[in-house]
Amino acid sequence: MAYSLPLLLTGDPLAAPCLNGPAAAAEAALVAQLQQGSEAAFRTLVERYQDRIYRTVLSLLRSPEEAEDVAQEVFVEVHQTIGRFRGEAALSTWLYRLATSRALKHLRRAQAKKRFAYFTSLLGFGNEVLHDLPTHEHPLALLEGQQQLGLLLAHLARLPDQQKVAFTLRHEQELSYEEIAAVLNTTVPAVESLLFRARKTLRHHLQPHFRHG
Amino acid sequence: MANSSVRPDSDPAWDDLLRQLRHRPAAQPRPFFYSRVQARLVAKASADKNLLPGWLRRPAYAALLGALVFSLSGDGSGSTTPNHPLPQQQQLQR
Repeated sequence: MAYSLPLLLTGDPLAAPCLNGPAAAAEAALVAQLQQGSEAAFRTLVERYQDRIYRTVLSLLRSPEEAEDVAQEVFVEVHQTIGRFRGEAALSTWLYRLATSRALKHLRRAQAKKRFAYFTSLLGFGNEVLHDLPTHEHPLALLEGQQQLGLLLAHLARLPDQQKVAFTLRHEQELSYEEIAAVLNTTVPAVESLLFRARKTLRHHLQPHFRHG
Repeated sequence: MANSSVRPDSDPAWDDLLRQLRHRPAAQPRPFFYSRVQARLVAKASADKNLLPGWLRRPAYAALLGALVFSLSGDGSGSTTPNHPLPQQQQLQR
């Protein structure tokens, strides 16, 4: 799976779905200051969005350490590429896009590393014991013993990337369909379809646990 | 979009699960997140400045490289191999 990550969106109405009036003006001013290299503006941006970006990445990676690392990378990328941002998408949309894209890239890299380790172990290059990478169950699921939630998160991690992102943005970050469509650079019906398929798959896996629970 | 494959009696359980997912305590990055982003930016900027590899920036390696280049860049005047045959070889050839 790969969805493109253009800095400049087309001028469709979904590009900046929820900004109007003063909020849009404030965001434009912030972007202008960022593009002039204002450190104060960058600090404002980081402090305003760090929790949302961190949570989004954590939802996809399920590891606080890796989520923090990727969230930092997102803001470094923002700092380096803000000059190319023309405000045709909402700033939050762009940030969510960078965050989900980087998180998925991180996941793919981890999976590739795992496959490579498996391959080398088959060829006998390494003598180390092959084991699965830590699954990093969500701390809350572990602490509270919420088995169903843990199961949901485990099956969520196995969904195709776009379904995973759509489900996470909808049910964990509580973004609207329009906002998700803007982040994924697709249409609202496509988002509905992604969510429908994601829910169907997840419910299929969780159904037996509902019956016996 | 109705989902006929799912039993309707499990809907409350599913809804409850989604509610749990939504209402978990909000995770936050560790304190001083901005400072760590800033440190990362500084580190990246200094790494970008150092275009030469680390070993090349070490004077000893640079001097060694210079000496090697100097010794290999001659026009052949210092070569021990003669360009033309020695007198003894000329006599043999005749």
